[in-house]
Amino acid sequence: MNTDDLIQTLSRDVPRVSHRVLARRLAIGMVGGGIITMILVTAILGIRPDLRVAMHGFSFWMKWTYTLSLGVGAIFAVSRLARPTPVSLRWLWLLAVPVLLLAGIGIGELVDTPSRDWLAMWLGGSWKVCPWLVLTLAMPIFVGLLWSFRRMAPTRLRAAGAAAGLAAGAWAATIYCLHCPEVSAIFVLTWYSLGIVLAAAVGALIGPKLMRW
Amino acid sequence: MQASEEQLKAWMLAGLDGDAAGHACLLRTLVPMLRGFYRRRLRGAEDDVEDLVQETLISVHTKRESYDRDRPFTAWLYAIARYRLIDHYRRRKVVVPIEDVEAILVAEGFEEATSARMDVDTLLSTLSPKQARAIRHTHIDGLSVSEAAARAGIGESDVKVSVHRGLKTLAARLRGEDRR
Repeated sequence: MNTDDLIQTLSRDVPRVSHRVLARRLAIGMVGGGIITMILVTAILGIRPDLRVAMHGFSFWMKWTYTLSLGVGAIFAVSRLARPTPVSLRWLWLLAVPVLLLAGIGIGELVDTPSRDWLAMWLGGSWKVCPWLVLTLAMPIFVGLLWSFRRMAPTRLRAAGAAAGLAAGAWAATIYCLHCPEVSAIFVLTWYSLGIVLAAAVGALIGPKLMRW
Repeated sequence: MQASEEQLKAWMLAGLDGDAAGHACLLRTLVPMLRGFYRRRLRGAEDDVEDLVQETLISVHTKRESYDRDRPFTAWLYAIARYRLIDHYRRRKVVVPIEDVEAILVAEGFEEATSARMDVDTLLSTLSPKQARAIRHTHIDGLSVSEAAARAGIGESDVKVSVHRGLKTLAARLRGEDRR
């Protein structure tokens, strides 16, 4: 096809584009995936029966603050990487803040607990499944974000994949909190983070294949 | 004749608001710009140049939602053009000589800077005349390295080194590492 004909064909289809199109697409992808994750948690894992009581406690909000702050930071990175123009991601170091805060709380816990109970506190009752559940629950949200990227133009595909994986992992962990009864900071710091990091790693691994355009 | 950033951006914004005529104007104007961009980098593979121009037009069209209305249009355009070029190399499994990669990468910061409406002349005047001329020839007038060398009456490697050092100095200055 010659270039003039191509231009004519392309110019036949010029729909209006909203000013907030990126935010809208990311929101649809996230919420769409999040609903699937939510259904999986409620239908298969079940909401923890003491949720109402737990929501008045410290550890529930500690977990939520941790996963939510990672999720918000990651979504911000995703929105940067969705456009082709080069951006600085140096501010991503800010994501170390929630990790360090949680580590600080964890150290406090260890100090207050006799050392013979440390292992039980660290492993909780679900350390073997927690990272894998977070990783699995992240997948619907990751797929949602892939959909959001279809009209976008990421040029750093590995970084974009990793950021999408991180966001999916952090939001999946946030939803998983509704099921998971674990209370200790070092449990969350280790096993939640492991699940979230696994999701980011999967994203980095398959991002370049799935996000090419 | 190259359309100004203002004109290109105005057409792009019109297209985003649903104006098909503005969108067509934009695409038509991009054709010579993109031909120049790819010719400079592919040196002679005319069929590949035209393929890349068409692929880039399609990307500009299908990826129009990824344009941020608050940022310069040309920076967005060249980011897409560069991605299409790298993708082209990847598909052909072409190995690019390392000097060329450096030129592509360093030029990136430079294009960004110019699209941020910095005054190019003021910037270039801070370099040595030889570096400034080499950059002007190869990156603004669109000459090839050999043409620039012939015009300045110096060797090709001399041109490459001047461009490389000059861009590096400018990039450092723009990042604020050098505040003299």
